[in-house]
Amino acid sequence: MDKSSSQRLPPLKRNWWLKHRFFKLYMLREATVLPLLFFTLCLLAGMVALLQGAESWQGWIAFMGFPTVLVLNLLALAASLFHAATFFVLFPRVMPLRIAGHSLPDKAIVAGQWAGVVAVALLFFWLFGRA
Amino acid sequence: MNTQQISTKQISVKRYLPDSSAESYWQQYELPVDDSTSLLDALNHIKEQLDSTLSYRWSCRMAICGSCGVMVNGIPKLGCKTFLRDYEGDIRIEPLSHFPVQRDLVVDMAIFLEHLAAVKPYLIDDNPVKPYDPQAPETYQQSPEQLARYKQFANCINCGLCYSACPQFGLNPEFLGPAAITLAHRYNLDSRDHGKKQRMAELNRHEGVWSCTFVGFCSKVCPKHVDPAAAVNQGKVEAAKHTLIALFKG
Repeated sequence: MDKSSSQRLPPLKRNWWLKHRFFKLYMLREATVLPLLFFTLCLLAGMVALLQGAESWQGWIAFMGFPTVLVLNLLALAASLFHAATFFVLFPRVMPLRIAGHSLPDKAIVAGQWAGVVAVALLFFWLFGRA
Repeated sequence: MNTQQISTKQISVKRYLPDSSAESYWQQYELPVDDSTSLLDALNHIKEQLDSTLSYRWSCRMAICGSCGVMVNGIPKLGCKTFLRDYEGDIRIEPLSHFPVQRDLVVDMAIFLEHLAAVKPYLIDDNPVKPYDPQAPETYQQSPEQLARYKQFANCINCGLCYSACPQFGLNPEFLGPAAITLAHRYNLDSRDHGKKQRMAELNRHEGVWSCTFVGFCSKVCPKHVDPAAAVNQGKVEAAKHTLIALFKG
């Protein structure tokens, strides 16, 4: 196919996503990666601190208790839940599940994923909640 | 028969007449409307009664031909499926986004047609077609279950609204785009087809399924509820499988 045969427009400007509410919501979904990046770096620092010894570990625990760090990590939790909510809705559209020739209703797949989140959270609290 | 009240509404149309001016401009029209007036009716009224220089595309008036796509207040819509009763205040009509404008509301869709042709959106059969034998007619048989796998994706009318909704296509027009990938997926899912291998080469590249970031606006604006975003992202799963299988086969 000769790709030069038709006209091309210049690409969209960088502020394209400000034009519509739908696009802003999409950018919000994509931006959830920023607080999550902070949380991931915190975890990584925690592992390094663990390797370096007790003093370093105590320092990391103290760092995690700073109000700004707590707020940022709460933001990361909210962001991950929001991202999960959007992702779970998209999942049945990307991977439509069929059982014995019948397709599972989207709502069942979404509910199943939230049930998974609750199960993992309960397991987490059972394992670590008593410490 | 028509007991509905007739009122007047104003619509603004983005005009572009390259013969007389290189710049586009807005033009306002006041026209009589009732509850049943579609945007296409309004454009026809302008053309017939107010301003014969206005150019736009249309044909079927019933959301089958896919020719009357325009931007209505910034959102791609079919003129025949958009009713002025749903709008208050000024209604701004522009040509479909992300396509070069030829004149007024008429855009050049050549690039969409190129992308469409690139994915071979037709049944591909390895076996040569045999001459028809009335004594032993051979038909392509398909069960309702096999039909159900792709039917939703076969409802595409090639109106191009999804391309105007897709920022990735706006950023990079080489992206095959929602409708072309959806039709490729529709034929890949068809039990009568054997062309998946040929299509995968087109789909499984950066300008294929991987340019999509699931913005999802294409599915919101689709007038036939095809859900192209679902098809494109199912295509990503298929492309990933295709890559893995190719890896193991060496």
